[in-house]
Amino acid sequence: MASLRFRVTPWSLGELRAVASHPLSMSRFRGRGRGAKRKHPGVSPGRKLRGSSTSWWILAVSKSPGGVRLVRRRAAFLTQGRCDQHWKKMPAPATTYERIVYKNPSEYHYMKVRLEFQDGGVGLTAAQFKQLLISALKDLFGEVDAALPLDVLTYEEKTLSAILRICSSGLVKLWSSLTLLGSYKGKNCAFRVIQVSPFLLALSGNSRELVLN
Amino acid sequence: MVRFKHRYLLCEVVSDDPRCRLTLEDRVLGTLVRDTIARVHGTFGAAACSIGFAVRYLNAYTGIVLLRCRKEFYRLVWSALPFITSLENKGHRYPCFLNTLHVGGTIRTCQKFLIQYNRRQLLILLQNCTDEGEREAIQKSVTKSCLLEEESAGEELSDSGGEETAEPME
Repeated sequence: MASLRFRVTPWSLGELRAVASHPLSMSRFRGRGRGAKRKHPGVSPGRKLRGSSTSWWILAVSKSPGGVRLVRRRAAFLTQGRCDQHWKKMPAPATTYERIVYKNPSEYHYMKVRLEFQDGGVGLTAAQFKQLLISALKDLFGEVDAALPLDVLTYEEKTLSAILRICSSGLVKLWSSLTLLGSYKGKNCAFRVIQVSPFLLALSGNSRELVLN
Repeated sequence: MVRFKHRYLLCEVVSDDPRCRLTLEDRVLGTLVRDTIARVHGTFGAAACSIGFAVRYLNAYTGIVLLRCRKEFYRLVWSALPFITSLENKGHRYPCFLNTLHVGGTIRTCQKFLIQYNRRQLLILLQNCTDEGEREAIQKSVTKSCLLEEESAGEELSDSGGEETAEPME
């Protein structure tokens, strides 16, 4: 069932066809003449199409052949009384909307990452893990960005997964340097970024790890 | 409308050792700056800054260096200059630092700044110098530069390369 807005009832269609087939609606007059607007008898701006739902109003009449351009006016206006008044007067909408923008950008971004080795069985302590991260940053972005305030909040040695915290301006740099890190002490490895969020709470649950029974 | 825009960094090599400036060469300085950028800003910085990088002008007597870099990355180059601590040439290492005097969009603006800067430096030298012979030499250069300034104000001399006179070695 089409919504109210887009339904064009048969009455209005019939009217359209009548207008379209009217000989005067074919543009015999080229250019803008004074007679151009009078080509469509019975159809003039502001007039509500008979039988149509209240959402269709004729707001503009174009001089293209067979064209009566219907422009839909917002239903908000029609909730007020006296809708069939002059269309030129646009009354102010009854409801006013207030938009509140809460600007509180999070200073830090939190990343959940996992380190995967090509041939498993490599163990890393937390300190070695952080050393690896900093060397990755230093390799790509130099000493200045190796000094970004980076924290390893949690680290699990068995799965080699960690939650990192980095200031928001350095997120892109850290992520790109993790992407481009290829090896650790000669062994091929890769960082898998599982989740990134400006809020730590979001990292507590991951819908991909949900078990649905 | 569509062209590569550059930034020209006018720097001065300041050092205690008087021999340091004499050993300045454009290729040596270029590689030194590139290595420093690679150290400070990593592979990303090295790649970004080395595309449009060039040493455009070098004056061994005054220690003035004009570096060119792309407009998008001139800040990376500029921030790496304080990390240059020594100049190495032919096995001798001289401690020095680069003092940035001016950043301009074209060589011409840097040249204009350099002319005014040199005039000011001549006056400062005049105050500080002790030897009579040196004093006369400096006074002569000062008057010559003033005359040239008056001429150029009237005629708009485009190339006043004569302004950058060699300063007497102290």
